[in-house]
Amino acid sequence: MPAIAIEAAGLTKDFEKGRRTVWQRLRRERDRRERFRAVDGVDLHVEAGEIFGILGPNGAGKTTTMRMLATLLEPTSGQATVLGHDLVTEARAIRRRLGAVLSGERSLYWKLTARENLEYFAALYHVPPAETKGRIAEILEIVHLTDRADDYVEKYSTGMRQRLVLARALLPAPSLLLLDEPTVGLDPQAARDLRERVVQLREEGRTVLLTTHYMEEADQLCDRIAIVDHGRIVALDTPAGLKRDLNATEVVRLELHGPERSDAALVARLESAGQVAQRTRENGTLHLTVHCQSARELVPLVIDAARAEDAELANIQVQPVSLEDVFISLTGRALRE
Amino acid sequence: MNAASVIADARAFWAATRKEWRILRRYPGNLLSFIFWPIALPLAYVFQAQAFSGGRDDTMAAFMERTGTNEVAGFLFVGWATYMWLSIVLWGPGTALRTEQIRGSLEAIFLTPASRLVVLFGPAISQLVWAVWIFVVVGVALWIGFGVSIGPVEALRALTVIVVGVPALYAIGALFGAVVLRFGEVHALVQGVRGLFTAVCGMSFPIIVLPDWAQVVALSLPPTYLIADLRAVLLTGSGVGRILGDLAILAGMGAVLAVAAVVAFRRTELHARRGGRLAQY
Repeated sequence: MPAIAIEAAGLTKDFEKGRRTVWQRLRRERDRRERFRAVDGVDLHVEAGEIFGILGPNGAGKTTTMRMLATLLEPTSGQATVLGHDLVTEARAIRRRLGAVLSGERSLYWKLTARENLEYFAALYHVPPAETKGRIAEILEIVHLTDRADDYVEKYSTGMRQRLVLARALLPAPSLLLLDEPTVGLDPQAARDLRERVVQLREEGRTVLLTTHYMEEADQLCDRIAIVDHGRIVALDTPAGLKRDLNATEVVRLELHGPERSDAALVARLESAGQVAQRTRENGTLHLTVHCQSARELVPLVIDAARAEDAELANIQVQPVSLEDVFISLTGRALRE
Repeated sequence: MNAASVIADARAFWAATRKEWRILRRYPGNLLSFIFWPIALPLAYVFQAQAFSGGRDDTMAAFMERTGTNEVAGFLFVGWATYMWLSIVLWGPGTALRTEQIRGSLEAIFLTPASRLVVLFGPAISQLVWAVWIFVVVGVALWIGFGVSIGPVEALRALTVIVVGVPALYAIGALFGAVVLRFGEVHALVQGVRGLFTAVCGMSFPIIVLPDWAQVVALSLPPTYLIADLRAVLLTGSGVGRILGDLAILAGMGAVLAVAAVVAFRRTELHARRGGRLAQY
């Protein structure tokens, strides 16, 4: 396996908005559709053997990036090599060594058993017939589906189907796995189980590129994380490195009741002990998120400031810094907004 | 592409056929519909023909003169059996892609290194089983209902005609597959083409009764030759040698259509990969 699993430079994908009717095409009318940029000049350098996460809100361009790297979408511009092969001209060579979980449980044949599904895809992945049976048995064991291997997929739970999709991705014995939101829709136990499998895959020497909008998942699993927003990478580092760059160790979330006119003054007072990362007002309540080095020092200041500005402190929460806070500090928005 | 890759694709092709057949088997109700329709549809036309001809010798002589056979039931049953098979083939590749699209499995297939022809034709080939079934049902119905017996030699000749005709028909089906990738829906187009074939290719009449211009259209369409040649070998006792000219035309059409289908499919796949249409339905 090459030392670099993925190398991308300036990867860009534009789509057209709206539609052009057949009548417009026949009349050779000018194409008036708007173009929008889903992925905007992404540079990636994923080392072999690491779990690399792409973290961002819905619509940030994560899935489009994955689909380009999986050879399902052709980039509008930019270049990339995956496992040492050019993304556009050597797509078939990439697909021979790539496993991907992109579309979830719907992509299985529900009227076939798990074993029959895997037999079919083993043939599509060009697994040698002599190895097929053994490899399927081994993979079913890995995803804990051996005892249900001969049941129709329609009888499976969502978590079991997702495990089967992962099993399918393992069929070509891939050196690189692309997992797009692999735990979406799973119950906590199934999600935890799947995360454990992902860690095992790294221990087996495989590279994993995963997208998620669950910050805890990214924090827990990934060696490095690229935070994306509006199609661009806005930060890239280890989870610890990203949090370190925030220059804070704790996050204090405040709810204050008081006159709106005093908001600015209140914020100004708090800025002396921390950085106010987010400020919103809803139904007469001021919500503040403050990044600071020490909540112990900030809290007395909050109480004094509230008293001085005629506000009442309704709620206070102190938490260690998370990737969500990193995202807020970079974009001014929460991941789920 | 090396030999190993071709062999691996052949295995994938067989796996796609087997997968589709497994799914078909799990809906056994389909089998019943394929007993009913191959009998009911041509039977209605047989009764209609009897009503129109009045069973008179002069009308039967006219029919014989125009078709080369006096087996009215055989003529109609073979015509409609071919039509039903044609429908399956025309729907086959396009429907296979569409079904995978709707199931959500098309992208999973396109993530594999298997040739695109696997997904296009593998499932469609499994439907050949239905075609064989239709012809068996028709053969039995003709034998029991009308005393028309088709011997093994005639059946073998018919099989030769079918094998020669398959590339042209599947190529048309593949063109529909390209339409699915481009526009996502193929229903209206298949209905239109099927309508054209029904109107001019002589499913229930000899094309000689058509106006001259319509005969020209008919002779440019592969099903016309297929139907005429099947009738010739099954009902008039013609050997393959007597229809060699037709078979050469059919094979030539198949070659041209196959090239067109491959070019169209590659272009539409590229278009789909640029526009992200593989997963859209």
